[in-house]
Amino acid sequence: MSTAIKAGRPGPRAWLVMIGCEAKMVARDTAGLIVPIGLPLLILVMSASSASDQIVANGRTALELYVLPLVLTIVIATTGIINMPSFLAYYRRSGILRRLAVTPASPVMVLMAQVVVSVIQTVIGITAALAVASLAFDAGPPTHLATALGVFVLVMAAMYGVGLIVAAVAPTPNSAVAIGLVAFFALGALGGLFGGRDALPDALVTVGEWLPFGASVEALGAAWAGAPTEPAHLVSLGATTVVGGAVAGILFRWE
Amino acid sequence: MVAIEAENLHKRYGDTVAVDDLSLQVGTGEVLGILGANGAGKTTTVEMIAGLRTPDHGRVRVLGLDPVRDRAQVRQVLGVQLQEATLHGALTVAELLALYRSFYPDPRPAEELLGLVGLVGRRDVRFENLSGGQQQRLSIALALAGRPRAVILDELTTGLDPRARRQMWKTIECLRDEQVTIVLVSHAMDEVERLCDRVALIDAGRVVALDTPSGLVALAGAENLDEAFVALAGKGLEDTE
Repeated sequence: MSTAIKAGRPGPRAWLVMIGCEAKMVARDTAGLIVPIGLPLLILVMSASSASDQIVANGRTALELYVLPLVLTIVIATTGIINMPSFLAYYRRSGILRRLAVTPASPVMVLMAQVVVSVIQTVIGITAALAVASLAFDAGPPTHLATALGVFVLVMAAMYGVGLIVAAVAPTPNSAVAIGLVAFFALGALGGLFGGRDALPDALVTVGEWLPFGASVEALGAAWAGAPTEPAHLVSLGATTVVGGAVAGILFRWE
Repeated sequence: MVAIEAENLHKRYGDTVAVDDLSLQVGTGEVLGILGANGAGKTTTVEMIAGLRTPDHGRVRVLGLDPVRDRAQVRQVLGVQLQEATLHGALTVAELLALYRSFYPDPRPAEELLGLVGLVGRRDVRFENLSGGQQQRLSIALALAGRPRAVILDELTTGLDPRARRQMWKTIECLRDEQVTIVLVSHAMDEVERLCDRVALIDAGRVVALDTPSGLVALAGAENLDEAFVALAGKGLEDTE
């Protein structure tokens, strides 16, 4: 050919436009916003007034040690395990990823943009929950703030790990939502989503605590109480992230 | 000068041979039509040329480049409109144009793209609210966003109303004047007759005839391209069902 053809990959501006487009897609999917932002707020408001009077330890209330860690975990888990995979499954099914594959953009760009938007969505959900808890029910910040932030990041990574597995195995958008819901409720039930786990057999309690949902609630609770975080919980979250990434890497299909 | 070259392409899915030793060349600035019955292997062929599928054997060159190995270069100069693909449903025409234009260093202006496909008045409509024909026209506009030197259009005007079809034909003629190389998969004989310099007739995964539209008519001893198509490509119809 007479003129050399330059290899081109989309630059930073294209990434921003892509993230903006993903954000619009998520924001316009009103139903998809109710679960990660509305549901945790509802649980918080329902249980906050009694839990905020109940001192558990170190002058900390049940709201700070049990309810908030649970509510924040729900925000992160619903976004990562239910919402993100359903978008990816829709994109794959409808051929949107295929269409992008014939442009200089790569489908990986869509995946990254989805993660960025999910993180923003999660931060909004967490901020809303914390604002309501502190303004209306006098909840205080975690005793170990830095630990809490570190645990947040690890929990997000772990929940996206689970979400990527869901996206990888779900053949259709419908089944992605179904599998995501089942995964969310299974992890949640064992992790204290439906109240105390005292009623569960001991073995299930242990397993639940080791799974990412339970580990997240325990680790965030410890950060709030100012207690040392148990390494087992952090290992569980780290391992979920690695396994999720690896499974998705092997199984995920673009079409 | 050859712009697109396919040499001895083979592709099978399980026991089904979709493309069987297919070769063709498209010259720079040429409009090549690809005609064939349903299931003849047209879409698999153009998907291999576009680099979406890797041939089992054979090789493809687009402007001298391998569409799979030299993906980052080929994507800059090859525009593709796919038959089975949709776009972000909740985004508007203007938002989608902005997204696809952002992928290229020197994109065609959005206004010009809208004008080319007649969607100027629809820029704020969401993709999911466009009619089928309008969705297809937008998809074509996006294929042209990066000022491609070669374009693959799978089913250019299927499902468009007569006025929109004529508009798309004008668009193709503009591209031809700019020396853009075009591969056009079509079922519409009038379209092929008007736009294509040459036509490849594909049957059971092979090129059974490759000539100018009038050359094909003469070759088949037919009255028109419709009859020539039936005479030349219809043989395998019973088997393909």
